[in-house]
Amino acid sequence: MMTKLLTKRYPGMRAWLMQRLTALIMAVYSVMLFIRILILQADSYEAFLDFFQPSWFRIASWLFWISLSIHAWLGIRDVFKDYVPNMQMRSVLLKILVVLLWVYIAWASWLFVRK
Amino acid sequence: MQVNETQSSCHCKAKNRPKNLNLFTIRLPINALVSILHRATGCILFLVLPIILLLLQLALSSAAHFERVVSILDSPFIKLMLLGLAWAFFHHFFAGVRHLAMDVHWMTTLMKARYTSKVVLVLGVLATVVLAVKLWA
Ligand code: HEM
Ligand code: HEM
Repeated sequence: MMTKLLTKRYPGMRAWLMQRLTALIMAVYSVMLFIRILILQADSYEAFLDFFQPSWFRIASWLFWISLSIHAWLGIRDVFKDYVPNMQMRSVLLKILVVLLWVYIAWASWLFVRK
Repeated sequence: MQVNETQSSCHCKAKNRPKNLNLFTIRLPINALVSILHRATGCILFLVLPIILLLLQLALSSAAHFERVVSILDSPFIKLMLLGLAWAFFHHFFAGVRHLAMDVHWMTTLMKARYTSKVVLVLGVLATVVLAVKLWA
């Protein structure tokens, strides 16, 4: 069965599928966001807060950010694999990448969840 | 990028591998152009994440900060940078959707792939132009 490809024995298949899944989530969110920006025309501070108020929008934004983090981790990791042949250098860069993405997740969570 | 694992992890001596350092001898067909731009724009989007979060935090924090953000984004130079960023997003988006389509075996012959590459490039520029008109008009 195809599902065999999704076990730990084939990490590349998992990475590939995750990159597609997160891409799909982000694509749907982006279209929603553009339509919402066009409809709501939030050009004052109050309107901007209202734009941000609904909990479904905050949850969607948070899910978007989680997807973005996984997507960027897999994507930038591939870029490092291609262009940074030195293993020590690569592992340092990967650690910096992971720390940055976790900091951004904490930051974004704080922005989307508070109040 | 699809790199053949058995090739990339082979134990052959590194110095025996062929190298081509003259970039001008590499031809860049349209599919390759869309592909490398997808990679470049993905990296750009990653690099601007902290700026996006910072602007978002400022805009949410108070009415005065919100006005400040609006006035920053209103300057012609920043608007131009914003357009560049918007193009990066649009291109990555359309090229990404093309990727997903081809992953489910849609539009995969060479002729069709070259056609959808053109569509991706045009859509990315078109969306940016529409945004530019909205920003300046
Ligand atoms: C790649 C990321 C983004 C880009 C390139 C972008 C670009 C823009 C541009 C060009 C404008 C028009 C600014 C102006 O009227 O002077 C705008 C407005 C706006 N953006 Fe974004 N944006 C991005 C992400 C976001 C995110 C993540 C949010 C919120 C979750 C957001 C919320 C808004 C809102 C509420 C407006 C005001 C809409 C209006 O005045 O009609 N944007 N954005
Ligand atoms: C808006 C929706 C998005 C879609 C539909 C999308 C789609 C994709 C797809 C399908 C791939 C895989 C390409 C491959 O296997 O060669 C990819 C790669 C990548 N994406 Fe995205 N993406 C999106 C947003 C983002 C964002 C916001 C970032 C930055 C934080 C990003 C960064 C990257 C990077 C760095 C790569 C690796 C590029 C490479 O290996 O050549 N993407 N994207």
